[in-house]
Amino acid sequence: MIALYKKELRAYFSQMVGYAFLAFMLFLMGMNFTFINVFTGSGRFANTLVAAAGSFMFFILVPILTMRLFSEEIRHKTDQLLYTSPLSVTQIVLGKFLAAFSLFLLGVGITVLFPVLITRYAVEGLATNQIVGAYIGFILIGLCCIAVGMFISVLTDNQIIAAVSTFAAVYVMFLMDSIAMTMPVSAGASLVFVALVIVAVAGLWYYATRHWLSSAVLGALGVAVAVGLYFYDNLIYDAVILRVLLWFSLYTRFQVLSAGILNLADLVYYLSFAGLFVYLTVNVIEKRRWR
Amino acid sequence: MIEVKNLTKQYGHHTAIHDLSFTIDAGEIVGFLGPNGAGKTTTMNIMTGFLAATRGDVRINGHDIVSQPEQAKKQIGYLPDTPPVYGDMRVEEYLHFVADIKGVKRAGRKEMLTQIKQQLYIDDVSRRLIKNLSRGYRQRVGLAQAMVGKPRVIIMDEPTIGLDPKQIMEMRGVVKNLGHHHTVILSSHIMQEVSAVCDRVMIINKGRIIAQGTPESLSAGLTKAGGKLQVRLKATATQARDALKEFAVVRHVQVLESREPGTVDLQLAGDEGTDIREVVFRCMAKHNLPLLLMKSMDLSLEEIFLTLTGDIRAAAAGYDAPEGSGVA
Repeated sequence: MIALYKKELRAYFSQMVGYAFLAFMLFLMGMNFTFINVFTGSGRFANTLVAAAGSFMFFILVPILTMRLFSEEIRHKTDQLLYTSPLSVTQIVLGKFLAAFSLFLLGVGITVLFPVLITRYAVEGLATNQIVGAYIGFILIGLCCIAVGMFISVLTDNQIIAAVSTFAAVYVMFLMDSIAMTMPVSAGASLVFVALVIVAVAGLWYYATRHWLSSAVLGALGVAVAVGLYFYDNLIYDAVILRVLLWFSLYTRFQVLSAGILNLADLVYYLSFAGLFVYLTVNVIEKRRWR
Repeated sequence: MIEVKNLTKQYGHHTAIHDLSFTIDAGEIVGFLGPNGAGKTTTMNIMTGFLAATRGDVRINGHDIVSQPEQAKKQIGYLPDTPPVYGDMRVEEYLHFVADIKGVKRAGRKEMLTQIKQQLYIDDVSRRLIKNLSRGYRQRVGLAQAMVGKPRVIIMDEPTIGLDPKQIMEMRGVVKNLGHHHTVILSSHIMQEVSAVCDRVMIINKGRIIAQGTPESLSAGLTKAGGKLQVRLKATATQARDALKEFAVVRHVQVLESREPGTVDLQLAGDEGTDIREVVFRCMAKHNLPLLLMKSMDLSLEEIFLTLTGDIRAAAAGYDAPEGSGVA
């Protein structure tokens, strides 16, 4: 795994991708820093991180990092070398994931210079707690976005498609708050939403097992229970869509963190979000062998 | 060494391999021969653990490729049809990377890599970027990759495809040498290739083994039915026919196209199992007709192949492929 990790890191810097990533990250961060901190003499660097994350930071940077991870190997058929080597798929996926994450950390590490630079000049001094919280959130969001990007890159042998899809996926995750707010909150709409989710799950079950009876029973039973609950106590259905979508919003929790509030639930959330996509990546590769 | 049992692979409704079973002993050089799309690559991809079979097992040295992948994969070096090389790495760097992921011990690694590079004549390019190498060099770097860690089994998918004639000759030499220390499996759709280097040939068509044996036994087995002889005489066709009339052993005379001025080419056949060569010699000597050439017209592997795969019309038409060419 370490061998693959080292190879990936080296590949970033032998292909310009690594330099492009770092340059772009520092440029965006520097712009935000200039406008928010330097011009105003403010020591609230946490605001800079939040603004950077909310602007183009992740949509553009994460695709650069992740588009080549698997797409390039599939295109050049070097994936045959990896999958026929004694390495397990989990080791391969983790090696690549950690390499991308390390490059991201390197960029983040350099940006620590910004708040250090203004320590002496900030009017109210540095808001250290908020900065540390914001950095933790920033790094965790990066972790999640890289996991999503890696998952997308394993689905295609075309780096451009991987990059554009990752851009779209990360963008939607950041827009999730606004999307959630436009959703209807009535119990009836929520019931329809829940029923659709159950049908989708039944469909996935059918796709995985090709067993129509169990899928049909699963779907029918699920919908029946959902409708039953609706008549039993429709308060449960209050703004379900909103709550579910907000749960997927990476950004909401980030704002809490950047206020300097460290919450175990938020940490677990980010880590399990990233873990889920790493797991899905491993699964897609394993599945593909049986295709 | 390698046991393949009832291997079947289906892609949706298309069955790429049907119930394939065979064993390969240590030290053998085995060739998979078959047209494109016969299932050779799929079989190799399953044997190396790149793909999973729909049904059936593969055991490498007793280790199942699905349930004990790590042990099984350590025994195998694989050169797929496209060499799996990273263009932006140097040859040296690439081979070290491969040694790392294969878990080769650091002690003695340098010597092993040097030895492999010398064996494949790539030591002069070890500092070059792989993307700048020619096809032949890239193929050899791919093979070097398969040899790293001295695996017991080396599997090569179409190792000479895309190489020029000189490189093909070199590659064959390399493969023969590999046979001294490894069990080697290679695939090809070129007959000369497998007959030149392999101890055993398996002819695969549409996902089934349709014949196997040494190249000679395959050829002999199929030609027993009618051993034919081609002769070239400095005579006219009528003279030759008249001379042969006295010798009843020669059952069948057919005049072929003349290839040299003033001569005639004949195709002769005797009874099944009789050797008519001596009779033909005495006959021509008696009639004072100079015998310029005599060779047995065994079916070439091409013809065997076409016969077996059912393209009998082409085989009967005396399909005569030029040296070094293949049948797609």
